[in-house]
Amino acid sequence: MESAFTYTESELVQGLKAKDQKVFGYLYDRYSPALYGVAMKVLNEESNAGDVLQEVFLKIWRNIDRYDESKGRLFTWMLNITRNTAIDTLRSKAHKMEQKIQVLGDDVHLYTTNLTVHPSVDHLGLSKVLEKLTKEQRVIIDLAYYKGCTQEEISKVLEIPLGTVKTRMRNAIIQLRNLLKIS
Amino acid sequence: MGASSYISSGLIEAYISGLAAPQELQELETAIVQYPEVASAVENCRLGMEHYIMLHSVPPPPVVKQNLIRIIADEEAGRLNRIETEETQIIEHNPVRKVFVSSSWRWAAVAASLLLLGSVLLNYIYFTKESEYKARYNTLLTTNNSLTSEENSYRSRLEQIKHSLDIVRNPSMKTVKMPGTKPFPTAMATVYWNQTSKEVFLLPNNLPTPAPDKQYQLWAIVDGKPVDMGVFSLTSNAEELLQKMKSIDNAQMFAITLENKGGSPVPTMEQMYVAGKAS
Repeated sequence: MESAFTYTESELVQGLKAKDQKVFGYLYDRYSPALYGVAMKVLNEESNAGDVLQEVFLKIWRNIDRYDESKGRLFTWMLNITRNTAIDTLRSKAHKMEQKIQVLGDDVHLYTTNLTVHPSVDHLGLSKVLEKLTKEQRVIIDLAYYKGCTQEEISKVLEIPLGTVKTRMRNAIIQLRNLLKIS
Repeated sequence: MGASSYISSGLIEAYISGLAAPQELQELETAIVQYPEVASAVENCRLGMEHYIMLHSVPPPPVVKQNLIRIIADEEAGRLNRIETEETQIIEHNPVRKVFVSSSWRWAAVAASLLLLGSVLLNYIYFTKESEYKARYNTLLTTNNSLTSEENSYRSRLEQIKHSLDIVRNPSMKTVKMPGTKPFPTAMATVYWNQTSKEVFLLPNNLPTPAPDKQYQLWAIVDGKPVDMGVFSLTSNAEELLQKMKSIDNAQMFAITLENKGGSPVPTMEQMYVAGKAS
């Protein structure tokens, strides 16, 4: 089913706006692993992540007219949809802070097993990057991006002053970018 | 706040990681429009974050794609149908509330209609055939019945003829031929007279069919006087069958006259058709 040729991003957008189902198939093949990875990281559960992925692609298909190329790349737009949908699902399942933390707690210990359970596209790259990040750096990125925690929530969970949350995040992302440049 | 202070504030990273509060978000989005270097810093940071996110890629279960392809194909079929419906409505200037029916249901409806149509058609064909067979059966039944009754009539006729023959064959039977009289030269009848039992039978060999109100009457002439021997009718096969008349001990002659229906006490001599001597 995978297309032998590739589309440029604007071709993809045009195809989707024209309701081209072939283009949609290509889009899915190309981006579903990344988006499913996000849903899996947020929900830690395959069945829900599958549902979220389906919902996400339906949103992309139905709402492509709302996508504005001048405001950002298609992938960024799709990632935002995925993150929001997955976090909404997570919240509807576990609204309370404690539960969020519980999930996080498991998640922290699951890092190594996660890698072996799910064959990632860039398996080696990920483990290399994760090795070089401190636990604190990994956790703050995951809490913010994958769990949708606010600065206040992170400050409580990690027991750090509210003012240092942003600084810690900045350092984590700088470290992350350096690692990615090297790898 | 200048461009460099935005870059060092950690706001960009907070924005990229989804950590930024709503008012921070607004602030940075303004800065992105205002300072190109902020915009490029945001984009670089975002690329790094997206790279990290991509590292977590996991192939989804194939069923998700299958579901999506099906849902989208259905939606598209529905959408196209709706567009068609809308166009029709515009032409008709008659807005009717649209009812969305998914394509699978449409196909199911079409299939059901076809099945129904097929069933009706088959019913019709079989019904027609059945009626045809019924009609044929009835025809055959009628034919068979008529054949049976025909056979019965033949059988009874045969028996009657056989009976007549038996009478004629009787050795004590006397035959009296009665040829036509002058006014009716072609007429002809025969009397069979059993000399033992004195029974009299008549065979109308050739007598014209009488008017409906007339009937033939047989007479015996005994000592010059006519004696009534009874009236008779000409049946379809009259010339083949003997008709039993009144018995008589003695007679010199026999004659047949045409009389009013029911017979007369005395014969109408002008209407004498046949006559023959008995001795």
